[in-house]
Amino acid sequence: MAKKGFTLWFTGLSGAGKSTLAERVQDELLERGLNVEILDGDIIRTNLSKGLGFSKEDRDINIRRVGFVCNLLTRNGAVAIAACISPYRKIRRENREMIGRFVEVYCKAPLETLIERDPKGLYKKALAGEIKNFTGISDPYEEPENAEIVVDTGEESIDESVAKIVRTLELMSLVPASESQTEYSEEEEEEIKKRLRDLGYI
Amino acid sequence: MALFGRRRKRTLVVGLDGVPHSLITRLAAAGTMPNVARLVDLGSLARMKVTLPEISAVSWPSFMTGTNPGTHGIYGFVDPKPGSYDIRFPNFRDLGAPTIWDKLGEKKKRSVVLNQPSTYPAREIPGVLVSGFVAISLPKAVYPRRALADLEKLDYRIDIDTARAREDHDYLMEDLAATLESRRRAVDHFWANEDWDYFQVVVTGTDRLMHYIWSAIDDPSHAYHDATLDYYRSVDTFIGDLYDRFTRESGRAEPGEGFFMLSDHGFCGIEQEVRVNRWLVENGFLSFETDAPRSIEEIAPNAKAFAVAPARIFLNRRGRFPKGRVDDASARAIMDEVEAGLSELTHEGRPVIEHVFERDEVYSGPRIDGAPDLVPVGHHGFDLKDTVREAEVFGRTNLTGMHTWDDAFFWSRREQAPDLEITKLADIILEEAV
Repeated sequence: MAKKGFTLWFTGLSGAGKSTLAERVQDELLERGLNVEILDGDIIRTNLSKGLGFSKEDRDINIRRVGFVCNLLTRNGAVAIAACISPYRKIRRENREMIGRFVEVYCKAPLETLIERDPKGLYKKALAGEIKNFTGISDPYEEPENAEIVVDTGEESIDESVAKIVRTLELMSLVPASESQTEYSEEEEEEIKKRLRDLGYI
Repeated sequence: MALFGRRRKRTLVVGLDGVPHSLITRLAAAGTMPNVARLVDLGSLARMKVTLPEISAVSWPSFMTGTNPGTHGIYGFVDPKPGSYDIRFPNFRDLGAPTIWDKLGEKKKRSVVLNQPSTYPAREIPGVLVSGFVAISLPKAVYPRRALADLEKLDYRIDIDTARAREDHDYLMEDLAATLESRRRAVDHFWANEDWDYFQVVVTGTDRLMHYIWSAIDDPSHAYHDATLDYYRSVDTFIGDLYDRFTRESGRAEPGEGFFMLSDHGFCGIEQEVRVNRWLVENGFLSFETDAPRSIEEIAPNAKAFAVAPARIFLNRRGRFPKGRVDDASARAIMDEVEAGLSELTHEGRPVIEHVFERDEVYSGPRIDGAPDLVPVGHHGFDLKDTVREAEVFGRTNLTGMHTWDDAFFWSRREQAPDLEITKLADIILEEAV
């Protein structure tokens, strides 16, 4: 299969597992020989989108910037994995139309579960009014209507979600199936023979 | 009184490919390897036998699984394909038993394993694996893939340039030094940046050096005598640095606990190569369909036996090989004749063969069907080979060192039982590692 880039766009509320799944999927795709980069929302806001806030306008600018970089990576044959809340359908759709080879992964989990998990302590602060414009609490999240992949991170294990994502990408012919090579190619055999002869083993 | 938290208990294994017990003890005693000398004073440097044939392709799987080839299924660098005389190259995916690192993973212990021969192509282990010989492509020699970028930044080398080094010994010494240094960089990086309980690194330059210029080690007049000893000094420094760092971080109560060192076979000088297939031809056991055979595939149907690298002897059995005519009724007599003939073989009055082992003497397990019928072992100095292209039984090449099966070594803090064998090491190490 010739290597062609695509964008894998993780969207969902804070703490839904976007970054965790993005990293695990990246590991799997690297094993299959693909070039993969992650654009993680938290990290992007410390460099590419440093200075932007969480108003609707700033959020739109942020997600458009991420989409711009994903497009560059995709059209150069790499896999771009975006892991940002990206709460607004319109901007996600804009990126989809710009990039073309775009696969949306909705990380779905009940808000109650996320509040209970609260891995970064942000929900507690948001509920206390210490953080304004917090998606899911004081700002809207617009669920995808037609995501290619939906992972229920409230119910599924990480392994199950990763397997579902990767299997779907295989079915879409975006990633090659994993290798189960038990024999070397002819070229590899010749190289190995040469090394064995150099050392007098054959 | 301050209370100390329980430190994590770690294990370190250092492999020195091909280093004989007789040599390492000599070098330690002579002051060439002072760090090894420290270890000799601290613990037990035991002489060890390895599985047969005595080559890295077999020894390392025996070490890493704690089983013999009849169980793990790897009998050589090459093997006849089932039902064929054509050869294939067994790889890590052919290994039929779990490794030390798999077993540690079951106990939630993470391993970092660097330059491990016989683990190519790399597969998932609980931790990090970088394959050694016969790895030819670094991307396929690394698990997980994310470690590849690190290795590339470190300018990591899998092996020396064996073709060039065989002919150019100045280059050999430079390449050995550069490769050892790249190994050290990799160790430093993964030691500091990976979460590990078990760390293993194998130095394979020792094997390369001894294949090519074994004769330099004991001959002060040899052009590379000093350079050879310098290389062993640098290996000793490598060992010492690793041991000292491990001692500081091992979480162990006693010095030396959790530290192990081994070789996968020994070495000695070559007096003569012994072409076993040529011997089989001259003694009526083997014939070919052509006058100048290039491989065993040209074997004649009336052939009774043939050898596969290095010198594993297979009876040309009906049902096992396509041109096989030997049946069970005649197999015993043929084996007896081959054993008797090889046992009587001499060179300038000196017996060539130490022993001819039969299959069931040295192999057991579910993969025994892949085993040869006979495994001859030469006396030190007689390097048994399978080549079919030479017209003489005895001869030489420019290689000066050969493997031995009874002179490998194992260092451990605790004394080991006599007659130590490489298949015992996995259990010994796991007992302290878990």
